[in-house]
Amino acid sequence: MQVFLQTLIGGVTFGAVYALVAMGFSIVYRTMGLVNFAHGSVVMIGAYAASTFYMTTRLPFAVAIVVAIAVTGLIGLVIERFLRPLENKDFTLMLIGTIGFGAVLEAGAVLIWGATGHAVPSPVATGPLDVAGIRVPTYSLLVIAVAAAATGLLALFLQHTKRGAAMQAVAMDHQAATAVGIHVGRSNALAFAIGAGLAALAGSLIGPMLYVNPTMGGTLGIKGFAAAMLGGFGSMPGAIVGGLAFGLLDSFAAGNFQEYSELVTFLVFAAVVMIRPTGIFGEATVNRA
Amino acid sequence: MHFTRFSIAAAALVALAACAPPGQQAEQGATATGPIKIANANAQSGQLSSLGQWEHKGVKLAIDEANKAGGINGRQIQLDLFDSQGDPTVGTNVARKIAAEGYVAMLGTAESAVTLAMAPILKDARIPNITSGQSPKLAELKSPFLFLNAPTSVTFDETLAKYLVDDKGHKKIALISNNGAYGAGEHDAFLSSLRTRNVTPLADEVVTPDQKDFNANLAKIREQDPEVLFIGAEEVQSGLIAKQARELGIKAVFAGGAPVGTDVYATTAGLKNAEGTVVSSPYLSNDATPEIKAFAEKYKAAYHEEARMHVAKAYDGASILIEALKQTNGAGGQKLADAIRGVKRAGLLGDYAYDANGVGIHETKIGLVKDGKVVPEAAS
Repeated sequence: MQVFLQTLIGGVTFGAVYALVAMGFSIVYRTMGLVNFAHGSVVMIGAYAASTFYMTTRLPFAVAIVVAIAVTGLIGLVIERFLRPLENKDFTLMLIGTIGFGAVLEAGAVLIWGATGHAVPSPVATGPLDVAGIRVPTYSLLVIAVAAAATGLLALFLQHTKRGAAMQAVAMDHQAATAVGIHVGRSNALAFAIGAGLAALAGSLIGPMLYVNPTMGGTLGIKGFAAAMLGGFGSMPGAIVGGLAFGLLDSFAAGNFQEYSELVTFLVFAAVVMIRPTGIFGEATVNRA
Repeated sequence: MHFTRFSIAAAALVALAACAPPGQQAEQGATATGPIKIANANAQSGQLSSLGQWEHKGVKLAIDEANKAGGINGRQIQLDLFDSQGDPTVGTNVARKIAAEGYVAMLGTAESAVTLAMAPILKDARIPNITSGQSPKLAELKSPFLFLNAPTSVTFDETLAKYLVDDKGHKKIALISNNGAYGAGEHDAFLSSLRTRNVTPLADEVVTPDQKDFNANLAKIREQDPEVLFIGAEEVQSGLIAKQARELGIKAVFAGGAPVGTDVYATTAGLKNAEGTVVSSPYLSNDATPEIKAFAEKYKAAYHEEARMHVAKAYDGASILIEALKQTNGAGGQKLADAIRGVKRAGLLGDYAYDANGVGIHETKIGLVKDGKVVPEAAS
């Protein structure tokens, strides 16, 4: 039982981060119908930006995260601006463009921070909580709380603000949205910036749990993407459920299947997607091409 | 029109990104009078790049010294760096490039998996390779062109098991290792050393090299309450395991090979968590002998950072190659391989004497991590 609960805690913590990454993928896909393959690299830039400000300028961790979100938000805007001429014209090239951007960001990180990476000390000084023999790292609680708060804020924004509603409208029918005077380009730019901001949040939070280095975006990007697919690509609740499900799947597979854990994780993923190609939340996929 | 221009720009961007990383282009056409071409293949990017960068600096220091002292019988050594990215697939491409472009020898890599992938190509091309990998699988290849800078995991782990079981009397030992080339080698070697002492591990958890969350594996280990947790993984992963193990309340002493003696391990784990880790390594500290001390000072003057085992390992390997090249007058192939095998050198990691399997050193020492640095056990 203890092993089960301990596994659960690890799974939920990493799952919360995967959910943030998956939400970033989904929000861009919702509005543009585009899979942003640079997303993993943006997560990495976010991790670097936050940890650098946190460690070198001694900014409080929360402020460092905000700065990182601003930095990556800007990167999101730049990516969108470059891709905008292709909007509704050539989605394949847009996809390739995002892959190229990912490689450029990785190379940029090597130029700025070097290739070796760095360890980030935990911003939470207190040790793990002991709940009936189950050790809950206080940092895990922080990660889960921040991820939940970010999710709540995003839901509020999408449901209850004019801009959010406009983004939803563009996602549903961009031509109709244009007809009623919504600036589609601006809406897409906002989606990209929010997606990149979520990536930075995920990267910032995972930094102290991992080792920040230029290639860390690879695994996180793939797992976040798979989480988004599992939940139902483009669906925000799907991204959350998918992220948590993927984190738990990963964690329990590691405990039960040892060196075959990755194989098992992706076999289960493949089976779920075969049975339900639209993912758990099964929204009709957005297709703007 | 706008669209076409962007297509070209996007395609160019992708092409640019796909281009070879900083691995330098080698020039064709080295002659018997021109410079002697030596390749250094090591990860310059990716999670294992810290090792690759240390290795390159160590190699470069030795080669620069040799060139300053007149080179190989008057000929200069041309050292070219190739980025293996710590990836076996990239490694095989690098090996083919090295074979095609007339290099007489290769130094590196720091990763067993990459060296294993490159070895057959270099053997076919008759290019001697002095590597810092230490997987027993490298020795099992019995390639006459492959030489190890250090002992294999078998020696590392035999020393460790002797210290933990015979000297300290620990019997409650748990294992966690990854199934990569290095981790699997460590796992098998340590397990067999325990078996010869009739010790059965309390737990034997195997993880994947990409795994980040070890809660499930460590929770199972915690239930067994071991005195010692053996970690068989590379620097960063070992650090993450140590950190998560302490967070889970595992009080066992951590033990492992060279990776747990690095500052990457200590900072990733957190200095407090890494404290007391038992390290088996042929190179424990920069103050161990006057020779090592002099080397560390020389290295610090050149690169403004502390020397460490991988630097010394690479420096030793490059020095052995230089010595052998002097004997062959710059010639490569079988002649160079034989010359390397014949070199007897008192190096920084120990006394080199290559056996039939290409292993150069046959003993390691025990150290303990104190404040993120390794100190020899006897002095602790």
